[in-house]
Amino acid sequence: MKENPKRMRRGQYLLAYVLAALVMMVASYSVPRWLPGDFVTAMYSSSHVTLNAEQEADLRAYYTQRQGFGRYVVDFFTLNWGYSYAFLTPISGLISEALPWTLLLLGSAHLLSMILGFLAGVEAAWRRGGVIEKAGVGSMTILEGVPEIGTGVILLLLFALHLGWLPAAGAETAYVTHSAGRWILDVVRHLALPLATLILAYFPGNFLLTRGSMVMVLKEQFIETARAKGLPSLRIRYAHAARNALLPMVTRFGLRIAFMVTGALVVETIYAYPGLGTLLFNAISMRDLPLIQGIVLLSSLMVLFVNLALEFVYGWIDPRVKHAS
Amino acid sequence: MTGAGLALLLAFMVAAGPWLALHNPHDMSFQPLSPPSSEHWLGVNDGGMDIFSELLHGVRNTVVFGLMTGITALVIGVVIGLVCAWFGGVPDHFLMRLADILLAIPAVMILILVAAFFRPSPLTLGLILAALSWPTTAKAIRAQALVVKKGVHVQAARQMGASGAYIIARHLMPELFPLYLIGFAAKARMAMFMEASLSFLGLFDPSRKSLGMMISYALKYYYLDIWWNWLIPPILCLTLLIMTVTFLAVSLEKAFDPRLKEAW
Repeated sequence: MKENPKRMRRGQYLLAYVLAALVMMVASYSVPRWLPGDFVTAMYSSSHVTLNAEQEADLRAYYTQRQGFGRYVVDFFTLNWGYSYAFLTPISGLISEALPWTLLLLGSAHLLSMILGFLAGVEAAWRRGGVIEKAGVGSMTILEGVPEIGTGVILLLLFALHLGWLPAAGAETAYVTHSAGRWILDVVRHLALPLATLILAYFPGNFLLTRGSMVMVLKEQFIETARAKGLPSLRIRYAHAARNALLPMVTRFGLRIAFMVTGALVVETIYAYPGLGTLLFNAISMRDLPLIQGIVLLSSLMVLFVNLALEFVYGWIDPRVKHAS
Repeated sequence: MTGAGLALLLAFMVAAGPWLALHNPHDMSFQPLSPPSSEHWLGVNDGGMDIFSELLHGVRNTVVFGLMTGITALVIGVVIGLVCAWFGGVPDHFLMRLADILLAIPAVMILILVAAFFRPSPLTLGLILAALSWPTTAKAIRAQALVVKKGVHVQAARQMGASGAYIIARHLMPELFPLYLIGFAAKARMAMFMEASLSFLGLFDPSRKSLGMMISYALKYYYLDIWWNWLIPPILCLTLLIMTVTFLAVSLEKAFDPRLKEAW
């Protein structure tokens, strides 16, 4: 145990994530089975979906079958996720259609807001006390309190409905075949508003945090030394100081991931962006329980995976984490 | 300062809401989609309900949900944090591993699952959210309690024969007070955000008035010229609400953490 503290620490994290994944799978397995009585009739009688007798019998069979937990896990990993009753197609197909759009939206939103927030934060700390810096910090503090629902709807009203510059819904223009170049442009135009909403939600936090930790780092003695050596200021800022300001941003990402998932769900729904969030929203409004179950389980596992990956990124950025026991 | 002013305004809206509302928000007897008038300050929605009354009830529901969940999460977090710090050993180890697991699980997914299948009351959902979100508070309390526990005054109290219960009640709990405020503000903010998002997604009882649900309904009619009296007010209220709680949370943290104060 003492000879390899690094592996010990990693092992501990890994265990927590494996257990968390197990908890999610058990929850997703058992929640439908805890339902009292004949819920198929109860649920679908009040929904928009009308089932014919055969479908109703199928669904009842699906939820009353004595499927073991092991079977459920195997089915999950072989993409055998059952059948959506609202869309009348296999769930795995629906999810694999929606997933790339979500990854595109969230991936680019996080990447851009992290890079921009980091750079802006470093520069702001460097110019601490200036008028622009003060205005920036003030406006970002306000913006950090605005939820995604607010920015999303306002951007939608302004740019899509009032000015008509950008499309209000979807991820690409339907029923049109474009050449490759036009298609990319079309996708980017559809992506612009949801992406801007998410960046407005993520950027202020990254900016304020980087600025805060950068201000502290700039007071350290090694920065004085670097200045005394006469190094160019760009080199001091980025090679010496900014590396140390990177860590809190990664930590914060992990802590806020639950928030972000919720916000992303809402943003996709506002713009009817055809990702997992909108699919989940449609599944909820049509009470398509197997589909809800599938999306919830899959996205939880993805969140766990991202969190786990972050632990490794963290150790890679900060060698101290690796060497500390 | 701004935060405190906004907080007072919102507190007034929440407290006086039922008396300010001119109509019962569930009354569906008005002319649907009629524009604002002296009778209906913000007009009437598609179901013939007075929007201003809906708004007041929605704000109230969100705030109540946030405060209740915040308090519950705080109490669980403080108790677990103190237990871990005071007893150490097996309970500490077990509870902290449990906290790690909960930290990794996205709470919103559990809430969606439970809400979609069981359609529980908002109270139940709030309690579930609290039960999933105590770990950050518990970890902060535990870390600080360990510091206080090693302090000279606690050692002295022990030397003089003070019991564990006395030390916890007299020294640990009061000295951790700033952490309670910070933890509570952060949890209440998270809970209000969750409530708005989940009701926007349609996971709450549709007969319960909420800002998220109003936004989601109004958004369906965005092409009509009524967005400014139906869609904008709930958005404005929700934004102000979340902003206020965020300001309070940030200024509390700044006030009690001298390191942060210096950075500003």
